[in-house]
Amino acid sequence: MQDVKRELTPEESWNTIHATFDRARASMYIAGITNILLFSGSLVALAFFAHYAIETLAPTFATENPWYPGVVWGTMGTLAMIGNSFIGHRAGKKVSEGPAARNAGIRVFAFWLTVVSACFLIPAAAGMWNSDSGDMIPGVTVGIIALGYILFGIMFRPLLVAVGAGLAASFYLPGHFAGDTALAFQGAATLTVCVLGALWLRKSSAS
Amino acid sequence: MIDEQVFLDETIHQPTRLRIMTMLVAQSPSDRLAYPFIQKTLGLTGGNLTIHLRKLESAGYLSISKEFIDSKPRTWVEATPEGRQAFTDYLSNLVETLNWKPPP
Repeated sequence: MQDVKRELTPEESWNTIHATFDRARASMYIAGITNILLFSGSLVALAFFAHYAIETLAPTFATENPWYPGVVWGTMGTLAMIGNSFIGHRAGKKVSEGPAARNAGIRVFAFWLTVVSACFLIPAAAGMWNSDSGDMIPGVTVGIIALGYILFGIMFRPLLVAVGAGLAASFYLPGHFAGDTALAFQGAATLTVCVLGALWLRKSSAS
Repeated sequence: MIDEQVFLDETIHQPTRLRIMTMLVAQSPSDRLAYPFIQKTLGLTGGNLTIHLRKLESAGYLSISKEFIDSKPRTWVEATPEGRQAFTDYLSNLVETLNWKPPP
């Protein structure tokens, strides 16, 4: 958006006020999203690679300890929640100071806390937390997180809709086509989507 | 045809300054925004933003403060009560102008 020297018509002024209000609000709500994407993408990729490494390099351990993916993914989820909260808080403090900024931070935190809670509660409500259907939990979790990005994108930044769809594709496509190497492909694809999304967001914000 | 300039504050009725004031007034009265955040959100160059901020500051519509946080300089911008009132008046006049219809 470049400065325009000519006078605004009253209609243009009205539209400018509304557009600026929306843009300012959205910018506040997505503060730190590029770093959050890079951090989350790296963590999730690390969890996929760790899971794949254990399955491939220590199959006996994996068979004798079927609970270990819960430890890997539970640790990743906890680190992601703490790290993303920290990144978001720092980013928020850099853009604004006061009640409006604080409220925006609280709303964003509440949104993602709801998404993460849903990742546990929905499989629990569907009776998936048992050895028979536990394998279905990652698919449901990824679907909920992708939906979170899509909803957040619809509200504040349409580009995040593409990130959400990309995250879903990164999980479901390798899972369907890559067989035993699915975990490695899922990790690489998730990292790629997050890095590309972060770069795209950073580039489009500066333009 | 109505003369819009009679009603609309010329300091605010300029595309860039209107957007700056909208960003500031949209916050709570005790909120202040960081200079880089305004620049990035509005897609302005540093020089362009500074020129318009100075114009609004000299009109008494906003205040600019600098402080050091973790040894790094940070510039904050916030609307003054006069600036908020001027923007409210501008909005009222804008609505009046938009609702104005030429007599039959």
